Amino acid sequence: MNKDRRNFIKQTGWSILGGGLLISVFPLLPGSAHASKNKNHIFAFIVDIEKCIGCGKCVNACIKENSVPNDFYRTWVERYHILENGEVIVDSPDGGSDGFKPQEFKHKVEKAFFVPKLCNHCKKPNCVQVCPVVATYVSKEGVVLVDDKHCVGCSYCVQACPYGARFINPETRTADKCTWCYHRIKKGYKPACVLVCPTGARQFGRIDDPESPVHKTVKEKMLQILKPETGNEPMTMYLGLDKEVR
Amino acid sequence: MRHYNHVIRFAIILTAVLIGFFAVRGFIVPESFGVYGTYMYGYHRGNSDSEEAAQPILYYGSDKCRKCHEKLYEQESQAGHSKIACESCHANWQAHNNNTRNKVLKNGSIEACMQCHKKLSARPAAFPQITDIKQHMDDQEQEFEKGMECLDCHDPHEPL
Repeated sequence: MNKDRRNFIKQTGWSILGGGLLISVFPLLPGSAHASKNKNHIFAFIVDIEKCIGCGKCVNACIKENSVPNDFYRTWVERYHILENGEVIVDSPDGGSDGFKPQEFKHKVEKAFFVPKLCNHCKKPNCVQVCPVVATYVSKEGVVLVDDKHCVGCSYCVQACPYGARFINPETRTADKCTWCYHRIKKGYKPACVLVCPTGARQFGRIDDPESPVHKTVKEKMLQILKPETGNEPMTMYLGLDKEVR
Repeated sequence: MRHYNHVIRFAIILTAVLIGFFAVRGFIVPESFGVYGTYMYGYHRGNSDSEEAAQPILYYGSDKCRKCHEKLYEQESQAGHSKIACESCHANWQAHNNNTRNKVLKNGSIEACMQCHKKLSARPAAFPQITDIKQHMDDQEQEFEKGMECLDCHDPHEPL
């Protein structure tokens, strides 16, 4: 009896050791070999509501630069009208790409403003968590991207995004969204919408670079994010955001 | 020894399954798959970012325009609209380079100006805006003539 038990314990010990060795040799757990230090989220995008004039040049530039299909928007501009009776009216005709027309209301307009929207490039993106085929991910720079060769177009991410920033591209039939113009920022250019904004309502840059336009703003100004309760921790931040903005 | 046979058999099967698993896994998983960044969000095909980054650029910024239009650039660098990128109102560099006839986004000057300067309640009050040209001329105490356009009085680069 005793001998058997000893042998059993011996063999179990050896198999555990052997199994451990096997796992350590083969990278069964993805990333055990590559996992690097977390230097993510070096970029930030700042939208200054008080500077936005709702001209829609950003929306147009985005559509051209990224060949966004008709009736879909990677970035769009919303107009908020807050009336005297507390009513909130939001509109965004054609994503604001052709600008806005004056609007009449029965009640007096208390305040009105434009809110440009785009992908928030969250630190903890819901959309990435739900993807069943790891086709969407946070890049080394902290930009949320879609791998359209692996995307199966299930649109889980479209539903998961609390900001409605994603859509299924009818041409590629894969998920599509703002990439902060990844192809541009990698080469040192600003995103197209930031470049064409005539009033500087859109700012983009590295947080850790003292020369970048967002460095000072992030360090010194009071910034707000959309839907903080979702816990996504967006890197697109707003200056002068009203409480009614959703 | 006989009572060990089933363990050995099991070990052989397990080894075969494991070898099979790693062989199939090595074959199916694309080469550059791995974690880049945090484990939770960074697992992806590594070549995917460079493919995304290879997309062509259309808007190159005013510095690129300067290479051909040096004189104009210098001339307008102090103008009222100088902080606005050329490609904000003009065609993007790539479109202009493909066909130099691509110049301004909207040819009707009123429409082009009104995209920014039409009076809207949502626009910041300090931003210069006009309801329409007739109203604007009345405000300036000047005579309005039919068919007047913004560019009759204003220079688009130096509007004031």
